[in-house]
Order: sequence, then structure tokens, then C-alpha cells
Amino acid sequence: MAAAAAASIRERQTVALKRMLNFNVPHVKNSTGEPVWKVLIYDRFGQDIISPLLSVKELRDMGITLHLLLHSDRDPIPDVPAVYFVMPTEENIDRMCQDLRNQLYESYYLNFISAISRSKLEDIANAALAASAVTQVAKVFDQYLNFITLEDDMFVLCNQNKELVSYRAINRPDITDTEMETVMDTIVDSLFCFFVTLGAVPIIRCSRGTAAEMVAVKLDKKLRENLRDARNSLFTGDTLGAGQFSFQRPLLVLVDRNIDLATPLHHTWTYQALVHDVLDFHLNRVNLEESSGVENSPAGARPKRKNKKSYDLTPVDKFWQKHKGSPFPEVAESVQQELESYRAQEDEVKRLKSIMGLEGEDEGAISMLSDNTAKLTSAVSSLPELLEKKRLIDLHTNVATAVLEHIKARKLDVYFEYEEKIMSKTTLDKSLLDIISDPDAGTPEDKMRLFLIYYISAQQAPSEADLEQYKKALTDAGCNLNPLQYIKQWKAFAKMASAPTSYGNTTTKPMGLLSRVMNTGSQFVMEGVKNLVLKQQETDDYRYFDPKMLRGNDSSVPRNKNPFQEAIVFVVGGGNYIEYQNLVDYIKGKQGKHILYGCSELFNATQFIKQLSQLGQK
Amino acid sequence: MAVDITLLFRASVKTVKTRNKALGVAVGGGVDGSRDELFRRSPRPKGDFSSRAREVISHIGKLRDFLLEHRKDYINAYSHVMSEYGRMTDTERDQIDQDAQTFMRTCSEAIQQLRTQAHKEIHSQQVKEHRSVVLDFIEDYLKRVCKLYSEQRAIRVKRVVDKKRLSKLEPEPNTKTRESMSSEKGSRHPSQESEEKPATEEYPEKVPAESQPELGTWGEGKGDDELSPEEIQMFEQENQRLIGEMNSLFDEVRQIEGRVVEISRLQEIFTEKVLQQEAEIDSIHQLVVGATENIKEGNEDIREVSTLGPPRSPQCGTTSGQQPSSCWHGCLSALLGPNPQGSPDGTTQSHLHPHQTLGPHYCQET
Repeated sequence: MAAAAAASIRERQTVALKRMLNFNVPHVKNSTGEPVWKVLIYDRFGQDIISPLLSVKELRDMGITLHLLLHSDRDPIPDVPAVYFVMPTEENIDRMCQDLRNQLYESYYLNFISAISRSKLEDIANAALAASAVTQVAKVFDQYLNFITLEDDMFVLCNQNKELVSYRAINRPDITDTEMETVMDTIVDSLFCFFVTLGAVPIIRCSRGTAAEMVAVKLDKKLRENLRDARNSLFTGDTLGAGQFSFQRPLLVLVDRNIDLATPLHHTWTYQALVHDVLDFHLNRVNLEESSGVENSPAGARPKRKNKKSYDLTPVDKFWQKHKGSPFPEVAESVQQELESYRAQEDEVKRLKSIMGLEGEDEGAISMLSDNTAKLTSAVSSLPELLEKKRLIDLHTNVATAVLEHIKARKLDVYFEYEEKIMSKTTLDKSLLDIISDPDAGTPEDKMRLFLIYYISAQQAPSEADLEQYKKALTDAGCNLNPLQYIKQWKAFAKMASAPTSYGNTTTKPMGLLSRVMNTGSQFVMEGVKNLVLKQQETDDYRYFDPKMLRGNDSSVPRNKNPFQEAIVFVVGGGNYIEYQNLVDYIKGKQGKHILYGCSELFNATQFIKQLSQLGQK
Repeated sequence: MAVDITLLFRASVKTVKTRNKALGVAVGGGVDGSRDELFRRSPRPKGDFSSRAREVISHIGKLRDFLLEHRKDYINAYSHVMSEYGRMTDTERDQIDQDAQTFMRTCSEAIQQLRTQAHKEIHSQQVKEHRSVVLDFIEDYLKRVCKLYSEQRAIRVKRVVDKKRLSKLEPEPNTKTRESMSSEKGSRHPSQESEEKPATEEYPEKVPAESQPELGTWGEGKGDDELSPEEIQMFEQENQRLIGEMNSLFDEVRQIEGRVVEISRLQEIFTEKVLQQEAEIDSIHQLVVGATENIKEGNEDIREVSTLGPPRSPQCGTTSGQQPSSCWHGCLSALLGPNPQGSPDGTTQSHLHPHQTLGPHYCQET
């Protein structure tokens, strides 16, 4: 039951969006229903939330004729209801009041992504009164949808203002208390919305002394307040259904990015993570630049325009769903296979065509006609399917080719293997210095990543002389050394603060520990090919929060000894697809257990290095 | 789960009203305000576009209700056998068909009219787009309702065709070929079996017609006592064979019938697709015509320039990508500049591709 209730955060959010678009009434498909039309107005936050979930066609199916940005020039369209989906910020409220005054639409359905404050609500009321438009404001809703769902089991907090809650924002040394409070509040607000949409109150565990702990404390407080307020509690509606009555509550594990800085820098080998690392991939859309042909253009001629293509990698893309976690060589093979099977089907259809051509002349062979008519009918009806298949094959061929070009140019496979070896402490066949000084292998950034991983995973810091050597090699290769500054500081701090964490080397050992840990009611997961194993006492040292308990004490002894069926791992400070993939792989073997992965922002190694570099500049 | 704060909003409105009253701010609340609101409303252009659109929708709705109401009766195959309730004669069915068709035609004409009118009126881009999408919705609705109608009509037509074939009694031409005889017999056979029509009196006539070449008239044959047992046996065998042939032919004919119906359905699909492609081909044609014009002009410009003689500026010969001189610039821009900016695959983008999603339009931070 619990598994079904939390089956897919994506579905839940989509259903909530569709209900909102249907004038806040549950949406029922009716094939002979009358058309209703409406206009959708969103801000950039709303756009980011909607775009991975609903395509333009789906919006049309819901009756949306136009979808427009709030802060754009909008003309009055008479006789049409407008659905707004915005964050309740000052500027948005101002613009909405302006719309009311200008009488742009017939009726207004206001939906706020997260809860609006009373004073801002009064501002709108004021504007509505002034414009004599109070009756036009048909409905006002707090949607509690302030998070972005990218996959069935993965979500991020935001995309638009992610520098506000970025790793850098949380970890910079010159942050003031008030700024930290704001950042924490933003994170907690989104997490709160997440749990409202999920319809469950989690049990929270977090490590001590980190930003994650601050988030946990605040989230616990917010959930507790909401539950106490019996009249307005968001968790006792009858729309919650199964989640309310099941005795299984999910486990929320809050983790700080500082536990492990090596994974975001790691070169990867699985399809989705590679696409995110190497290409321009945001909100399930990848943008490719295809430069066509001529490299040396003759004098005076304009350079050939680069062809920009962007593709959406959606849940209906079966190939993507199947292979997004596969290692890249497997992906290439599968694309080949798909192409071949498609060609076979295409040939079948063509063959029918030629047979039909012959039929016209031969009157007597009616019997042959019989078989082929049926085949033709099936061929015609399967045509749309075939076309769709072709489109997907084209898409993935292009994407995979682009990735492959990067891999070849930067020798990413070499980096991947080497980093694996470093992190699992097997002997290295090539010296690090060799790779760094090799001019062919990779961009300066790749080399920096490699070195940082080496530095992070080394038990003892390399000697001064060695370090100087490395530094020189790196500078020669063109790297900026600022990230190293920061990592040095981080390492020193990490040594002081907590018990040393070790990177385990076998895959079997951590599995055993983790399964034991999960069964005793607490869990910490952050592993995979490169394994980070926390010793047993560390996980027991985690703080424990249960918002449903009457007394708000934070004992470190877990009260709930039942094994959890569902866990949500949330990384404060940023995450990436490698960790997501590791979690997915980990949970595949376990029946009936569910993991969701979330992070405050999603970055690839390039973006992370940039943040480290900015931090190291101080 | 979403929280409905509409009541909270209305409460806020009241609060603000009272507050403003207390502060003495004239806001337009109270009796005057409501009247003011009403007054404000009426001069607003009521948008006859949307009222007409809604009219069309209500008409289509009426058609849909009408079809659904009579659907059961319409399809009812055994109406000539069953009770009085729900009996529908063929004339009534024809009437429904005709009415529905004229209705649909008028509806689609009305939609077309609205479309042209919407385009003619000068409005902002957004309003135009909104209206065209609204009209698309209405057309889609009409299509769905028409599907209802066409489904039930297809069933009826099929049944009528079947009936007709079975009950056909064509006069026989006196042919010598066995096949035509057998096929006629084939058509007779089922009619005999299913319709229970007294066709049997015709049957004996066929047998003599067939045996005519051999035996002459029946009467003569009867009169002839020299029907040897071998001949009788032969005739019997022949009968059997003919019956067998007839049966198989009858089956084949049935199959062919089914296939022809399928083929006609396929034809429909093909025509639809061809019509779609027609629009695309038209646009491609336009583009090509435009391109040819541009090339022609470009050629003329080149000719012009070449007759002007060598360029005067010394910079043109260099290859370091500096600015070309004005004359070369002119001809280059003529060559490369005015490209017909159609979409890459040549189709006109009258609507967004269904696989497109809302693009995140922010500037990416690297």
C-alpha cells in the first residue's frame, strides 16, 4: 500500500497540475465533451515545474490555447478565463494586480506555487477592489508544488535561482546568519511542498553539525506546526487516501554535500550521467549544436550556420527509459539493434508495396490479395508507431554520436578508469603526473577533476615536493588552481570535524552493511561503484526527528524500529546523476523497497568546479 | 495537496474594504461600487467571436445529443422483427442521415466563416493565435461527434450491402460458360438459404438451361426415354461437383467482399494522408518559387557587378577575413541574404510540434 501511495512523485505532481488546469476540479477524460478554452500564465518557476511534466500537446488537450510568461507583454483577450501559476513574490503580485487593473481576461484563477502570505493576499484584494474585479477572481489556491520532478523518483528544488541555494551559497565563509536563514528557509519550503504533494509525514534523520542538520531542524518544526493546527493541516485531507492509513512512513535522510566531494567530480560512464556531464542538458532537454561540414571557409564567405537541435528526453521515450542507466558501449549497441529492427520493419512495408503493385495486373490471383490486404492494414496502422520509432532512433543516434565525439576528443574513458582505480585504491598503472602532463588527454578541467579526486581520496596528503610538482604540471596544462585551495581547506576541516570516512573498495561489503542498516530503521546511502561506507556507529550517531511525536525532543535513539519500505535521500548542497544512478542500481535488487533521490540543485562537474573555484578564491 | 484559499481571499477583500472605509479612501466598495462594476462591465466588447463560437458549440452539442438518443434505434438490426418500441424504418434512418449531414456541413461552414473573420479583424498576435486554437478545438469537437455518426452509418451501410447482395435476383443471360452459371447459382444458393424466398421455381429453370447444350429443353429431355443410367450418374456427379464449386466460390466471394470493405477503409486513410501532404506540397512549391526568384535576382546582380569591372578597393584580395568592399558585400548579401526563411523541413509551422515542450528560456549559468 505504501509503495502504491508513493508510487511516483511525477504522477502525483502531474495529476496536481492537471487538476489545477482544469479549474481546480479533478480532471476526467470525456471523449465527447465540449471544448473549454483557457489561457495559462506562468512565471519562470512555474515554467520549470511544468515543462518536464507536460508537453505542449498535453497542454492543448487540457484546453490551453496560449501559454505566456507573466512578465511579458500580454494583450487583453476578451471572454477567456486565465489560470495563473506563479510564485508569490513582490514583483509577481504587482504584475498580477496590474493585470487586474487592465482587465486583461474574463476571469482569474490564481494558483500560487507555494503558500502566499496574508499581507500579499490583501494586496491582491486591494487591487481587485480598485479595479472592481473582485467577482472576476474566481478561485485562489495554494498549490504547494514548489519543486521540480525530473524522473519518477528524482526531484530537484529549483532551477531558476539555484545560485541562491547552491553549494557555494551554503559553504562560503563570508555568509551571514540572516543569509543562511534565508537559504535554509527556501530549502525547507520546497521540501515541505514535496511532502505535502507526497501526502506523507516522514521520519527525518540527518548527520550532525552540517547544513543538513539545520534543514532537518527547520523542516521538523514546520511539519510539526502544520500537524498541530488540526483545522488547516495539510496531511489529514481525505484526498490523501492510502498514504494516510498505511503504517509505513517514509524515511527522509538528509545528507550534506560535504560528506563526499569526489562524486560530483567523477567522470562517468552511464548514458544519462554522460549526457549531463558532457552536453547541455537541463530539465530533461538536451541541446545539441551540429556544425555542418566546412571547416575552412574561403575568404569572405560567411561561416556555415551551426544547426542547433534540442531534444526532449521524456518518459514516453522507451529507449531512454531502458538505457539511461546503461554503460555507454551498451547504449551504442542497442541503438544499432533498434536501427536494424526498424529497417527490417520498413523493408517489410516496402515489400508489401511492391507486391501490391504487381497485383494490379494479375486479375486471377485473388487469393494472394487476401493475405496482403490484411498485412497492408496492419502495416498502415503500425505506421505511426514506426515513425515514432524512427524519430527516437534518430534522436538517440545524434545524442550518442555527440557524446562519443566528446569521449574520443577528451579520452574520457581513460579518466573514468583511472578515477575508479584511485577511488578503490587499487594500484595505478600510470602515474598521475603522466596523465596530467599528457597534452592529448582531456581538457584542463578534466585534469583538474582527476587531481582533485586523487587529493580527496588520498589517506595522507601528498608531500610538499610532490604537491609542487603536481601544481606545476597542472598550471602548465592550463588549469586554474583555485579549486585546490578550497579542497585543501575542506579536507582539513573534514579531518577535524568527524570520524574519518573511508572509501570502501569492494561492492559486496557495503551492500551487507547497508542492508543491515536499512533493516534497523535507519539508512544512509551514497554508494555505488565508488563506495562511501560509514561505519555503524556513525549512522547511529545521526539525529532523529519525528514530527508526529508530541514531544519535540531530538534523541538520537531511533524510536521506530520497523524497517522502512520507502526512503528519500536528499543532498543539501547539490547532487548529480551519478548518485541517482547508484541509488537506482542499489535498489533494483531489493523487493518492495523504494528510494527517491532529491537535491537542492543539480550540477555537473563543470559547474561544480566553477563553484569550488569561486570558493577557493577567498 | 492544493489548498483552496478563495474564502480567505474574500475575507481579505472584506478586511481591505473596511480598512479603506475607516481610512476614508474612496475605493468603489459598497452599493456604488457594485453598480460601478456593472456599469464598467457593459461597455466591454462582449466579443461576438466567443459568443458565436459558443453558439456553434451548443449546436454541435445538440447534434451529439440527438445522435446518442437515437443511436440504439438506428443500429437496431432486427427492427423489422422486434417489438414496436424502438422501431425505426429505413426512411427515418435516411432522414437522420441527411439531417446529420446537412447539420455537419453547416457547422463546418460556420467554423470556416469564423476563422476567416477572425483573421480579417485586426487584433494582436496573441488574440489571433488564441482564436485559431479555439477554432481548432471546435473543429476537433465536431470531428468527434461526426465520428459517432459515421460509425453508426458504417454499420448500417454494411448491413444494407449484405442484404442487397443476398437478395439479388438478376435475370440470367444464356451463356455457355459454366462459371457464370455456377456463380449465379452461388448467388442463388445463399439467398435460398437465408431469405427463404421462394426462388425455387427459378432453380429448375437453371438446370435445364445448363443441360440445354447437352439435352435440349427440359420438356424434350423428359420426353426422351433414353436417359441411360450412365448419363444420370454423370449428371449427378456433375451436380455434386457444381454444388461443391458453388460453395467454394460463395466462400471466396464472401472473403472478397470483406476485403473490399477493408480496402475502401484503407483508401480513406490514404486520401486523408494525401490531402495532408497536398498542403505541405503547396507550401514547398511556394518556397521553391521564391527560391528560384531569388536565385534569378542574384544572378542578375552578379552579372551587373561583373560588368562593372574589377573592384576599385585594394582590400578585396586579402584573405584575413577583413570587411569586403561595398560592391562585393552587395553581391554577397544578394547571394546569401534573402533566404526564404521556411523551417528546415519545408513545412509551414502553423502550430507547434506536438513533441515540443515549454522551453526553459533562462540564460544558462556555466
